[in-house]
Amino acid sequence: MSEIKALEHATLKVPYEILNKRFRSAQKIIDREVDQVMNVSRQVEKALDAEQPPILSDVAKLMGNVAQKLQVLKRKADESINDELSVTQICKRKLEHLKGIMPRNADEVCQGSVDQWKRIRLDRLVIEHLLRMGYYETAEELAARSDVRNLTNLDIFQTSREVEDDLANHSTTKCVLWCIDNKSKLRKINSTIEFSLRVQEFIELVRQNQRFEAVKHSRRYFPAYEKTQLNEICHVMALLAYPADTEMEHCKKYMDPKRWEQLVLDFRHENYRLFQLSSTSVFSAAVQAGLSALKTPQCYSQTCRNLNCPVCQEDLNRIALKLPYSHCVQSRLICRVTGLPLNEHNQPMMLPNGQIYGRLALPKITKEDGTMTCPVTNVKFTKPKIDKVFIM
Amino acid sequence: MRAVDWRRSKLTKFIAEPQTEFDIMDDEACLTVEKELDRVVSKLEQLHEIASVEIGDVASLMSELVNVLGNAEQMLVTTLNAGTQMNAPGTSSTDDPMGDGVNMQVETEPAAPQRLTDSQMEIIREAILKCNDRVQKLSTEHRDSHGSVSKIGKAIDRNFSSDFSSTMRVDALQDEDNLMLLNKAIAKHYCRQGMDEVARTLIKECKMSENDAQDVFDSEREFAEIYSIWIQIQKRELSEALKWAIRHSSQLMERHSLIEFRLHRMRFMQLVSYGLESQHEAIVYARTNFQKFAVRYEHEIANLMASFIYLPGGLEKTPYKIFLAQEMWTELSFTFLKDACQLLGISKNSALSVVVNAGCTALPALLNIKQVMQSRQVLGMWNGCDELPIEIDLQPEFRFHSIFACPILRQQTTEDNPPKKLTCGHVISNDALHKLSNGHILKCPYCPVEQNAEEAVRIYF
Repeated sequence: MSEIKALEHATLKVPYEILNKRFRSAQKIIDREVDQVMNVSRQVEKALDAEQPPILSDVAKLMGNVAQKLQVLKRKADESINDELSVTQICKRKLEHLKGIMPRNADEVCQGSVDQWKRIRLDRLVIEHLLRMGYYETAEELAARSDVRNLTNLDIFQTSREVEDDLANHSTTKCVLWCIDNKSKLRKINSTIEFSLRVQEFIELVRQNQRFEAVKHSRRYFPAYEKTQLNEICHVMALLAYPADTEMEHCKKYMDPKRWEQLVLDFRHENYRLFQLSSTSVFSAAVQAGLSALKTPQCYSQTCRNLNCPVCQEDLNRIALKLPYSHCVQSRLICRVTGLPLNEHNQPMMLPNGQIYGRLALPKITKEDGTMTCPVTNVKFTKPKIDKVFIM
Repeated sequence: MRAVDWRRSKLTKFIAEPQTEFDIMDDEACLTVEKELDRVVSKLEQLHEIASVEIGDVASLMSELVNVLGNAEQMLVTTLNAGTQMNAPGTSSTDDPMGDGVNMQVETEPAAPQRLTDSQMEIIREAILKCNDRVQKLSTEHRDSHGSVSKIGKAIDRNFSSDFSSTMRVDALQDEDNLMLLNKAIAKHYCRQGMDEVARTLIKECKMSENDAQDVFDSEREFAEIYSIWIQIQKRELSEALKWAIRHSSQLMERHSLIEFRLHRMRFMQLVSYGLESQHEAIVYARTNFQKFAVRYEHEIANLMASFIYLPGGLEKTPYKIFLAQEMWTELSFTFLKDACQLLGISKNSALSVVVNAGCTALPALLNIKQVMQSRQVLGMWNGCDELPIEIDLQPEFRFHSIFACPILRQQTTEDNPPKKLTCGHVISNDALHKLSNGHILKCPYCPVEQNAEEAVRIYF
């Protein structure tokens, strides 16, 4: 499996879902306008089919209607198809970028351009992660700074940002609108987000002691969820019986303002499901896999740390604590002086104190008078006996 | 433990081929999606065409007809007005078309509202038919393209993998502390690249503690200086780099770093290349700066000083030309970056970029192995497992520690089971050595040498 196949699902799936949505709404708009046209044209037909030949001016008026509706249809169809086409452009651009990594012919891989592509990939992954964490401003700024905006899903998350801000301000309006906007899709994925919102509205009414309003609210919205959420409905309705500052355990749970924060998270989660994104970001998967792949027991021993090794650095070291070590059945040895692998081109050599360095490193640790300093232990040797070591 | 071993032995066969740079790319997956996408695009463009041309066509036909009808009526009204003016004009509009036919005939003909002739009706009927046809065609064709649209989705799902949950430890990046540490790593990464604002916004948004935020900027401040000097060297500007090297001179000497001499050498050659007028300056420069390198670089300095021979003619056509070539500058800048980072104890690449790039290499392999494991019903890649199920073949630049796996036991060596060098030079683990030795006598598993097991030495990589 290639890296692109493994990592870029969301990059393409999100614009596809948008295309799908636009397609549906375009279909709806076109159908509606077509219906309108058909309606008026049917009137004309009716007039023509009448027993007597119809009056000219009436028909002219009706025909005028048809012409007008046709113009509307033309305009709306034009707009919505253009909408669809613009989304396909987004898809296309992302595909072009993904394909950009491929060399024109298989023999030449340009290291520079690969590095650049990887740098952009890192920015893209970070932006996605920031969006998932709700750090919208940072994501915006980063996208602007590294000029990758058109490769990210920032625009889609803009709506979710508005909804989240609204929820954070203890208002359900925008989220309810979002639910209505995505009604069929939400039903398909068995989402309960709308129910949670209605419950929250109910709770707020109880909190403000508008219990009569609350009952009205429950009558209006709860029956729709009777089949699936009856249990919870019962629990929620119990709130009516208690004062808002009740100490009852299960009521307190509902009255907790923290429930709003939970709603934000729930909404975020449903939004991912809507776009068929996995609940964890590619970034965090990559970070975990990367830490594991790099993690060795040496990273946790005081003496063997390597400055360049990320897992040896304090912060990442702590994150990696619970992750598995890399697995290794084949020795892979690196010279600690040159950083080059130890192999037949750079034979491992042993100093008298048991420290192994590559042959290429020996001149670097040898002074002109022939003394050698072991860079790890700082022990000096004069004309030491150096043994070859064979690694199988 | 046994379960783990079993899994490993079964899985060794599936270890992926060494990852190369090529594995990042996959023509096929992208091309399949692109093919479907192109199909939809051309369909939509076709529809767009229908909407604007065909519908527009009918629309203008309709308005034309309306015009014709209007004209016809107008003409009639004028003739009416010119001719008999018996009826009040109001009646015609309020007249019921379904009204009494007899009555109509009795009334004078012109007074009755103008009715359509058969041929007119035929034309209108045709137009309406055409219009209905076209709008319905638009609607059905648009609906028909749904198939191609959803094919894109299917192509994406089929060619790209969307589920990482099996390759992750659920608890690793969930708790607040670790997420904050990750934020810190992100902030540091952008600080390094000189995007301080991004780091600052992130710190603000994730509500990082004062201390941590301070740490972010402190840890990367040193690198920021190195980074700017690095950029300057690439622009062939040496003054800052020289200042830095002189400041850290003694430490650099200790580490046998070549960078200080290389910088001076470059500066010297730069002066020489300016020609005769800078001759004096170059000599003074050599006197003041080369002295401390006299012992170590005796030959090289002599070599450099010989460049004065060519001074009048310029260095273009001399062996010294190579000293000022572009490669030398690039080389110099990277040597500087490496040595300076080493001296300061910071790494050359940001930790985050190393980790993520390593992870991007590892994920495909882990996803592959997931499929194998599931088909063999070995579930829970991570559970009770302290090592990844497979070896991830990272590029050499991502290897920071030597790992010695005992060739006999196929295990990584540890503090308790260290690697030992036999007298013949072969290396095996301590445990293997004990298992293979018979009393004190040990026969090397790789060569015919018999030796005393006690003589094996502990080695360090």
